[in-house]
Amino acid sequence: MHIPDGFIDGKTAAVTAVISAVGVGFALRQVRRELPPRRVPLLGLAAAFLFAAQMVNFPVAGGTSGHLVGGTLVAALLGPSAAVVVVTTVLIVQCFLFQDGGVLALGANVFNMAILNSVVGYMIYRMVCHWLTGIRGRVTAIAFAAWCATVLAAISCAGQLAWSGTIPWSVAFPAMATVHMFIGVGEGLISALVFLAVYRARPDLITETAQTGQPQRLGELVRYGLLATLGVAIFVAPFACSWPDGLDSVAVKFGFGHKMAPLLPAPAPDYQVPGIHWAIGATAVAGAAGSLIVFMLALLMGRWLVPKPKDL
Amino acid sequence: MPCRRPALQFQTERLVTVHWINHHHGRLDSPVHRLPAAPKLGVALVIIVATVLAPVQWRAWFIGVAGLLVLAMLLSRLPLFFVFRRLLVLSPFVLGVVLVNTFQPAGRDKWLAVAVKSVLCLLTVILVSNTTPFSQILRVLKSIRVPALLITTIALMHRYLFVLMDEAERMRRARASRTFMRGRRFHWRALATVVGQLFIRASERAERIYDAMCARGWK
Amino acid sequence: MNAAIEITNLKYRYHDGTEALRGVSFRVAPGECVALLGPNGSGKSTLLLHLNGILPEKLPADGAVKILGEPVAPKNLEPIRRQVGLVFQDPDDQLFCPTVQEDVAFGPQQLGLGDAEVAARVQKALAQVGLADFGRRATHHLSHGEKRRVCLAGVLACEPAILILDEPTSNLDPRGRREFKALLRQIPATKLIATHDLELVVELCSRAIVLDRGSVVADGPMFELLNDEKLMLEHGLERPHILRHQHPH
Repeated sequence: MHIPDGFIDGKTAAVTAVISAVGVGFALRQVRRELPPRRVPLLGLAAAFLFAAQMVNFPVAGGTSGHLVGGTLVAALLGPSAAVVVVTTVLIVQCFLFQDGGVLALGANVFNMAILNSVVGYMIYRMVCHWLTGIRGRVTAIAFAAWCATVLAAISCAGQLAWSGTIPWSVAFPAMATVHMFIGVGEGLISALVFLAVYRARPDLITETAQTGQPQRLGELVRYGLLATLGVAIFVAPFACSWPDGLDSVAVKFGFGHKMAPLLPAPAPDYQVPGIHWAIGATAVAGAAGSLIVFMLALLMGRWLVPKPKDL
Repeated sequence: MPCRRPALQFQTERLVTVHWINHHHGRLDSPVHRLPAAPKLGVALVIIVATVLAPVQWRAWFIGVAGLLVLAMLLSRLPLFFVFRRLLVLSPFVLGVVLVNTFQPAGRDKWLAVAVKSVLCLLTVILVSNTTPFSQILRVLKSIRVPALLITTIALMHRYLFVLMDEAERMRRARASRTFMRGRRFHWRALATVVGQLFIRASERAERIYDAMCARGWK
Repeated sequence: MNAAIEITNLKYRYHDGTEALRGVSFRVAPGECVALLGPNGSGKSTLLLHLNGILPEKLPADGAVKILGEPVAPKNLEPIRRQVGLVFQDPDDQLFCPTVQEDVAFGPQQLGLGDAEVAARVQKALAQVGLADFGRRATHHLSHGEKRRVCLAGVLACEPAILILDEPTSNLDPRGRREFKALLRQIPATKLIATHDLELVVELCSRAIVLDRGSVVADGPMFELLNDEKLMLEHGLERPHILRHQHPH
């Protein structure tokens, strides 16, 4: 999901850069405040871990290893702000050292994979944990949360591509969303298995702050939530609803329609690929059904992986 | 509070020689390598921004940049095959855009623009990152006021990336040597244990690093 | 005169309850070179971490360890860490900076020295370990032996009075071991070396302390201890071959 340079245009790059800078800046401040000094090197090592773990080659479909993000996993282990910093670090090193993902596109990549993925993943994880208790609940929660976060990040990516005019929404959304609904299964499975392995061997390594529901945590999540909502509103909402038409007519009414034109995302495309317009609806339905199915699968996996405790 | 058992063993040989990881071309020497980092990165950034923003019609710009990059590439003595292989990473993305836009009225212009821009930008980054030591890139980031915590995290990630990759590879090989069952299910759980162990080792190492920093006076 | 290191009845438990150190006591005089021997798991590394206040996690004000007459207590940590140079067992843990230059400069910088002084110390330390032109090399590209030497340089740059080394020659090839031993011989500081390399002990140390399961089981002149075959075998060690062919007379 690493967008290369040239695939998003100037305005998208600029907007995402600003949003990401705000988000990462906030995450850094949070981390400085809540992470004890002895854990600071852990951020760098966790980033190295995320990268090195990919070498262990999890076969996804047909022997190819998926390019996994791991934001939700790190958020469950170290907390959401730490996860934002860690994944941002991975993205920066991947960009400059391995030329994976563009330089100007860093803003978009950071928003999708570091902020949206980690934070929304964490929120869903905590919500499900609240509902299903115990380690079984956590396994289910992290699997489901990682899946949702992957799909959401993909949708946001599609929105950015569409906003730039590179690929129209009606193609980008179904393509990215459906592919990542499958990739997300792998990410959910791996996140859950790794979390469980760590929990069993060294439960003390899982940062307490990631688990306990402190009141300050709420404020932190609200701020991230606002940022995420802003991003989604800019990149996804115009396509998901009939906003542009509304905005368009407003712009025409007030006489600055022609000036706004390059800034507004293109409305539903008028080109000749047959049947493509139903793809959006189909994807949305698939997404809703998919979430239910994945949640069920996650529950089953929790049951399978964690035998019912006898004495607890 | 975690158990403070110190590390009792470690390996000495570098195992990871997977070619796509090898960016050791930082070790070569050439006029491009010797250029100071800050202006190099600055020029690269300007080229990337301008290329992304330039409208399709400005052919002279694209041709000019392409010429400059090819010249720089030849001067830098980077192996051409290596550069080409890195550029290939773009191919699935470009292919996707080509497919989508073939049906569109102004399609050819669009996908050509995307293809050209992405190749030029990627080539710029390949050139700069392989002719500049990473520590200098970090220094430039520090000078543009990137927060210290982020710089430290990036520096530590870069420093321990290869150490952890070696550990991951070693564990994977050891696990593979003892894997007799063919089932997918066992495979996944075994790999997950290995990855879980990798995280635990990374955490323990992080603590030892903190101790080493304190031992030399860090506050 | 104050002992360089003075430990009185030091006890320590791991988090899971196992006793790591059960009342360890000994003294090291200034200028001495003492070997700390013992089987794996005897608590050597844990003991060494007490000498500059890394352990215990909650340092008491009146601990069992005194360095140059001063107790290792929270208020003394800074001067103590200036005087005690600890070289860790895994060089990858200690070499956390991107380049050799930066890593060796880390200690002097933490001491608050000016740029010129830091640079001078870095040069001197690198020259001392025979890596004078390694300044710009990236740390993750170094060989194991080179990493060990850079670690030593990083500690020497702080000019400590006491040098503590945890398994300094493990995993080094024979040449690396010889070179490292030669380096250590030239350093005048008080030295406490935890090691399995009995040849190193014979060549460098005048005194040996044997630790087993958290207690000191022997403490005396190196020659005597190492020649005591029964003692050596009882505590997971052995009489070094180099001594089999030597006679004390």
